[in-house]
Parts: sequence; structure tokens; C-alpha cells
Amino acid sequence: MVIPLAWYLIVAAALFCIGLYGALARRNAIGILMGIELMLNAVNINLVAFWRYVRPQMLTGQLFAIFVMTVAAAEVAVGLALVIAIYRSRDTVNVEEIDLLRG
Amino acid sequence: MTLAKTLALLSPELVLLAGGLGILLLDMIWKDDEGKKDWLPYLTLVGLGGALAAVIVVWRGLGGGVSALATMLDVDALAMFICLMAVLVAALVVVFSVEFVRGKTPYRGEFYAFLLFAALGIALMAAATNLVLIYISVELLSVTSYVLTGYLRGDAKSNEAAIKYFLYGAIVSAAMLYGMSLFYGITGTTDLRGIAEFFSDPASMSELHWVVFAAMVLLFAGLGFKIAAVPFHQWAPDAYEGAPTPVTAFLSVGPKAAGFAVLLRVLIIGLPQFEADWTALLAAISIVTMTLGNVVAIVQKNIKRMIAYSSIAQAGYILIGLACLGADNYGLQGVLLYLLVYLFANLGLFAVVIAFSNATGSDEIEDYAGLMRRSPWLAAGMVVFFLSLVGIPPTAGFFGKVLIFASAIRTQSYLLAAIGVLNGVISLYYYFNVVRQGFFLPPKEAAPIPAAPELRVALLVCMAVVLGIGVFPQPFIQLAQGVARLLAI
Amino acid sequence: MLLPILFIFFSIAVLGFALLVVTTRNMFHAALFLVGALFGVAALYILLEAEFLAVVQILIYVGAIATLIVFAIMLSRNMMRRDIRAANDQWVEGAVAAVLLFALLVLVLSRASWPTVTAAAPPDAIPGIGKALVSDYVIPFEVASVLLLVGMVGAIIIARERE
Repeated sequence: MVIPLAWYLIVAAALFCIGLYGALARRNAIGILMGIELMLNAVNINLVAFWRYVRPQMLTGQLFAIFVMTVAAAEVAVGLALVIAIYRSRDTVNVEEIDLLRG
Repeated sequence: MTLAKTLALLSPELVLLAGGLGILLLDMIWKDDEGKKDWLPYLTLVGLGGALAAVIVVWRGLGGGVSALATMLDVDALAMFICLMAVLVAALVVVFSVEFVRGKTPYRGEFYAFLLFAALGIALMAAATNLVLIYISVELLSVTSYVLTGYLRGDAKSNEAAIKYFLYGAIVSAAMLYGMSLFYGITGTTDLRGIAEFFSDPASMSELHWVVFAAMVLLFAGLGFKIAAVPFHQWAPDAYEGAPTPVTAFLSVGPKAAGFAVLLRVLIIGLPQFEADWTALLAAISIVTMTLGNVVAIVQKNIKRMIAYSSIAQAGYILIGLACLGADNYGLQGVLLYLLVYLFANLGLFAVVIAFSNATGSDEIEDYAGLMRRSPWLAAGMVVFFLSLVGIPPTAGFFGKVLIFASAIRTQSYLLAAIGVLNGVISLYYYFNVVRQGFFLPPKEAAPIPAAPELRVALLVCMAVVLGIGVFPQPFIQLAQGVARLLAI
Repeated sequence: MLLPILFIFFSIAVLGFALLVVTTRNMFHAALFLVGALFGVAALYILLEAEFLAVVQILIYVGAIATLIVFAIMLSRNMMRRDIRAANDQWVEGAVAAVLLFALLVLVLSRASWPTVTAAAPPDAIPGIGKALVSDYVIPFEVASVLLLVGMVGAIIIARERE
């Protein structure tokens, strides 16, 4: 294989950290959610790369990645529903303005 | 293994699943009949009763053995113990909810179905021995918890609690997943026993030590979130305050028990070779968690927020048992007994809080003034549960604490034990503050506080168990010992 | 020689789109960049010889998840205009945390000796995946379907228009 495994891992790590930045630094709840999706994609790159390079004869990594996508879909559906609910009641999806609870 | 035997072993989970689907279906059939829908919580309890029976039958059938299903899950005493707790939590929370959700939401049936699905998530988490199944069952519990937290759509606080809980949870679960992917990369498998087998070769350990450590920390982010340990606790106060109170009661016990079960399995089955690493990590987290939880609890004015911080502190105590596992998993019995005791004490406390808020609509600690005169039963219950949470005899909490601290002393972690005791003293202060309000200050209103019959039953059951374990601890200690011993083999 | 060039091209595309996703002010544009990043990841899967996964990635991520996100942006319309600042007050801390984590990960990942093998990928993974889903992975598979049901019902309960 021409491309070393470490290249994939480093791209995945970079994608994970970019997603993490988005999740931590965005004001908009949907923006945060998109950051989280990037993080999950980074994990999937890891899983598929490990599958290809470490254990190609067993399909564990690919199967795990498929499950991650399934879970991500369910999670996003609930998350966006929450965003829409909060938008209806407060007219904002800016996390800094969502601040009734504190103490 | 034959299909019939497999299904029999999974019967607690299958009953929970069938119960949840059945409730969804009945709710649809009785669409416009609010009178019939009043039966749904009781039918949910019937389903939970069935699950309880299944747990007992399967547990007895195990006879001390383990039945592993296709490298995915172990049906063993630990799984049954936590599954039993999941059923108990769900049953008590259903009882709490009967009066609370009536009229507050048009979707009553789904609420009970979701509680059953959440219990299913806990049961699966406790049994899973494969990272894939662990991840999916963690997410099943998370997604149901997010929905339950945001269940009161008209309530801005419930909405906000849910979105904060969701965003926080989704971020840490992605981090946990990253850790899992590293474990897969290191060992080429997601099966916990396969992982342990890989590391049993000492040569493989030294080269990959730092990756393993990184993966372990990332994995702990996800589980620390579930048990609300510092630094992954920030969601807890907001989610506890904003969620519908029966859901708060669920969140304070269910995910914690499940999180500990997964942590136990991953550490003991998957990573025994790294015990020195995770012991140090857990000890540090334990100290910070109990201290921060207790200190911040002192300044809280809302009782749900106070319980949130107190339950963060409780997670810290339980972590002592894990950090001081010792030979033949001695620390484990403390962890298990403590979880069981904590379940009844905390849920009992929530029975008081819910009865109070149903009658007065308030969760502020200052409104508890004169509780003694308005409802002696609630006040008495509150004192019993506080005593148990602090760990003062003759309540069950005493024995939980004794076992936990004994494991610390047995492994010569005197510092952990000392900080634990000191924290107990701090917690006395804020619990006593509520008791002071309730017993020594004059009530703002004189009206007595009525409690629904279901709530009264739940309160009495919790009190009876907390005092019962406190007076006759032996069978329960033996139960925990038995489970711990089986896991050590 | 072609493979490394393709790898570098798609990696830069993925990371570039990802950076745009987390920094763009306009949420709608961010969602479009997200679609770009997701396509790039699918291309990486093809380079890794996981073609089936690349298709699933496009179907689920681009077809379902990204579409859902665009819907949500449309439904909460005024966020497209009003979001003057993209980042919140803790963006500096966030950036520092992300950069530090990246440095740590690179250090740890590049120094580890991964137990790689040079076996060829199975020519056709789809039958294997299908069989695994109904044998070894049947329990997670069923749990995933419960999870999807819960997600669906939950989303409807929370987001449904009040009567």
C-alpha cells in the first residue's frame, strides 16, 4: 500500500479537532451540530483506515462505521427537533441567549 | 447455543422491548380516549413486573456462571444486578410520573414507552462486552434521555435543559467513539476479551502505551458524562433543573448505574493489564468529583440543582471503590451496594421533591420552610434519605460508605478515604440547611401538602428499603459480594 | 504515484471544507460546505477500498443528515441573516483546546507502531457485511433499529406543531 496508515490517522485527527473547534466555538446550535458531525466523520475515517490496514479480513471496522452513521442519523433527528422547538419558543438558536438555567 | 436458549437469556431485554412497543401501540389505539390512557402507567408497571420476573428467572438459571452471546454480551450476575436496578428505577419513575405528566403533555403514552426503552438501554449497557454494542446501547440511553428531558415542549426550561444536555452529550460521545476507534486500531478487535488477549503479550504493551492511555481518557469522557464525574459534569445541574422532575429522578440514578457497569466491564475485562494507569486516573477524578460536587452544592438555592451537585459528589464516592479495586475485586462490592442504596435514597428524595412541587409548584429550597408542619411524612422521609446520602446509621448509606472506605483502606489509599470522610462532613452542611428550613423555620403557607397515593407508596417503599438495608445489611452485602466474586473469576 | 496525489487532494478538500464549515457566518453556506466535506470523506473511503461504505456515506450523510440540517436551517429562517458573529465568547479557548489536542494526537499517533498487515482487501465486502449484520452483529443491529424508532418518535414529539 502506497499511502502510510499514519497519513489517514493524521487527516482524521485534524478533522476531529476542526469539528471539536466548531462544537466549542460556534454560537449557533446548528453550527455546533455540524461540528459534531465532522467529529463523527473523523472517527469513521479512523475505523475504515484501521480496518484496511490492521484487520482487512474481518469487517469489524466497516460494520462499526455503518453503526456510527445509523446512530448519527437518530441523534441528528432528535437534536434538530430540539433546535426547532427552542427556536419556536424563543426565536433564537444562539446558545449564548439560551440561558434561563444557571447558578 | 440454540435460538431458544439465546432468547431465554435475553428475556429481560425482550420483555422491556415488547413492553415499550406495546405501550406505543396501545397509545395509538386509544388515541382519543383519555380515560383509557390513564391505564398506561399501570400497564407499564405490569411490563416492568414481567421484566423483573425474567431477571430473577435468568439470574437463578445462571447458577453463578456466565453466558456469553456471540462476543457481544455477557449474561452474568453483574448484568442481572444492573438490569434489576434499571427495572426498579423505571418502576419508581413511572409511579412518580402518573400525576406529574397528566395534563402537562399530550403525549403521555410515549413518555412511559420511552422510560421502558431507557431501561432497555441500561440493561444492554450492563451486559455489553463489545465496543460496538456498548456504543449503540449508550446512545439508546442518551437519545431517550434527551427526548425525556425536553418532553415538556411548552416549558422553556425543559427545552433548554434538553438542548444543553444533547449538545454536551453528542460532543463527549464523539470523543468516546474516537477512543474506541483507537482501541480497535491497536488491537484489531472490538471485543473486550479480544482486547485483553492482545494486551496479555507484554511486548505489545510498551510500544503502544501512550495510545492506550489516550484512548482510555477519551473513552472515559463518554462514561464520565454518563456518571456525571468532573470534568464531564457541567450538563448535570442544567439538565436536572430543567427536566421534568420525574425525568430528573431517572437521570440521577439510571445513567449513573449503567455508566458504572460499562466502566467496570471495560476496565476489568478489557484492560486489566493497565490497572495502574486507570487506578491513578480514577483516583484523581474521584477526589475532584466529590470535592467539587459537595462544595458547589452548598450555595445552591434550587433543590433540584442541589441534588444535581450532590449526585455528582456521590459519583465521586463510588469511584473510590473502582480506584481501590484490590485483590479479587474487593472494591467492587462497595460499588454495587452503594449504587443500590443510592438508587433508593435518591429516588426517595425525589418522591419528596415531586410531591412538594406537585402541590406548590416550587423547587426553591426556601419554600421548604415549615415542611414539618405541612407534611410530617415528607419531612421525615427527607431526613431519612439525607442521612442515607451522608452515610449515617441506621440508614443503608452507612454500609455503602463503610464498604467503599474499607476498600480504600485495604489498598492503603488513606488519602482517598480521608478526603471521602471529609466530604461527608461537608455534605452534612447543605443537607442540614434544607432540614433546618423544614423543621425549624415557620411555614410561609399553612396549607398541608397533599400527596398522590402512588407517591406515598413510593415514598414508603424507599424509606422501608433504606432503613431495612440499614438494619439488616447482611443479605444485601452478600448479594453484592456474590456479584463481585463472580466477575473476578 | 496517482494514489498519494488523490489522497492529498481529497484530504485537503475535506479539511478545507471542514474549516469553512466551522468558520462561515452564513449557516446555509456552512451546510453546503458540510456536504462538500462529506463527499470528500466518501472519496477517502474509496481510496481505502471500502466502496460500499462510500455509497452508504453519501446516502445517509449527504442524503439524510445534511438534508435534515438544511431543513432545520430553513425552518429557523432568521438565523441566516442575523448571525453577525459566527463564534461565541469562548472561541479562543476552543481554538487552543483543538490545536493542543491535535498536537497531542499527532504526537501519540505517529509514534505508535500499529500492527499493520499488507493483506489485500476482500474483493467484495457487501456479502460479508450482510451476513455479519444478521449473525454476529444481530444484537447491535436490532438495538440500532430500536434507536432509530426512538429517534423518530422523539423528534416528532418534540418538534411537532402545537394543535
